[in-house]
Amino acid sequence: SGGAGALAQWVLVELQGEVEPRQSGGLAGSLLGDLHYTCEGIPVLIVGHHILYGKVVQLEKPFAVLVKQGGAPQPSPGEPHGHYAVTALIKTKLLFKTRPKPIITHVPRKV
Amino acid sequence: SLVIRGEKDEQAVLCSKDKTYDMKIADTSNMLLFIPGCKTPEELNADAASCNIIHSQIAGFSNNYWELRRCRPKLKKLRKILMEDPYEGPDSQKDQTLTFSKYTTDLLSLIQASEEEILHQLQVIDACKIEGYWRILDFDYEMKLLNHVTQLIDSESWPFSKVPLRVCLEELRCLEPREMIQHILLSYGRKYVDDGEVYFEMREDKICRAIAQMLLQNAVKFNLSEFEEVWQQSVPEGMTTRLDQLKGLALVDKSSRPETIFLLKVEDLPENNQERFNSLFGIREKWTEVDITPYIQDLCAEKQTVGALLTKYARSSMLNGVKVYNSRRPIS
Repeated sequence: SGGAGALAQWVLVELQGEVEPRQSGGLAGSLLGDLHYTCEGIPVLIVGHHILYGKVVQLEKPFAVLVKQGGAPQPSPGEPHGHYAVTALIKTKLLFKTRPKPIITHVPRKV
Repeated sequence: SLVIRGEKDEQAVLCSKDKTYDMKIADTSNMLLFIPGCKTPEELNADAASCNIIHSQIAGFSNNYWELRRCRPKLKKLRKILMEDPYEGPDSQKDQTLTFSKYTTDLLSLIQASEEEILHQLQVIDACKIEGYWRILDFDYEMKLLNHVTQLIDSESWPFSKVPLRVCLEELRCLEPREMIQHILLSYGRKYVDDGEVYFEMREDKICRAIAQMLLQNAVKFNLSEFEEVWQQSVPEGMTTRLDQLKGLALVDKSSRPETIFLLKVEDLPENNQERFNSLFGIREKWTEVDITPYIQDLCAEKQTVGALLTKYARSSMLNGVKVYNSRRPIS
């Protein structure tokens, strides 16, 4: 509901496995990595010293991102007890399901 | 907008104006990151100028999400709530204290269905608004009202297809409230206008069915041929009774000698698919498709057939050359 033009469009990035922070402590505020696209439009994610290749997928069933908003402290009968607002829609995901490859910098052979 | 409905002991559903959806949590072992403002390759190509680094923040991540699946509205509760306090007529003492508020808005917050599905069901069960509250008629009172009308039709020699509203209201107003006479005509007839006057085409099948219910509810079971005789005599003169009018209301036991018939109302059976089948197989071990269909028809999802339901919840076998269905699991 509401004009689709008014809603933000987000993108989903789907990773196999888990992401762990390099140091202890949470993930919040940390850098995940760099996202690139090749000329053919293939997404490439560099996380730490790993590189992942993925693909752009148009979601058959788009997602809606809901944010909970406080309801009335004492709702009257028939009134909703809480509200969720649709903040954004997600119609595209970048799916990374291939095994991350470690990036090894080229070591020149000794002549 | 959409509404999530359910009480603490129920599984949540999401309702639009006219549809109901089950809400299920879907889990994934993958990690889902959501990134506002992240650009797709197409968007970047269109914006040729950007060779700069775009700093994006990951808004959050999750391992699960809600999935919606269209489902049948859960309407059994509606009937149950209304049956707690059926309307017995204006003379009844009971109505003095209504402990339950049954305004439309309250029903909406209790029933796990969309508004349109609820309003449609209220019509199907012949509920009516009395002093602002949705009520269902007590069956005996309903039969009393119906009887007034059928007796009047008989004494006036009207055809069943052309019963005038105005005259009914005039003739019966000293017996019952106008709204009730109108309600019974709407429940048991089809309204139409002819030459500026409102008429009703009485629904023979529904009238015969109601009278059968009235007869059957007085005993555990009846001798079939005796019942058929009494039933035909009890319906208005000119109407014809047929056993197929009783689908979903009564069941004939062809295996007993003599054959018997007993009341079995589909609306009294469980709403959940598995529970419904368990209940039916508890009543009778083996069912033919013809017999069981009226008792499972309402379980069919949008594009599901009775056959598909039987494949899923029952096992078939042959009995005396006839295909029958029984339970997949032992019934205690």
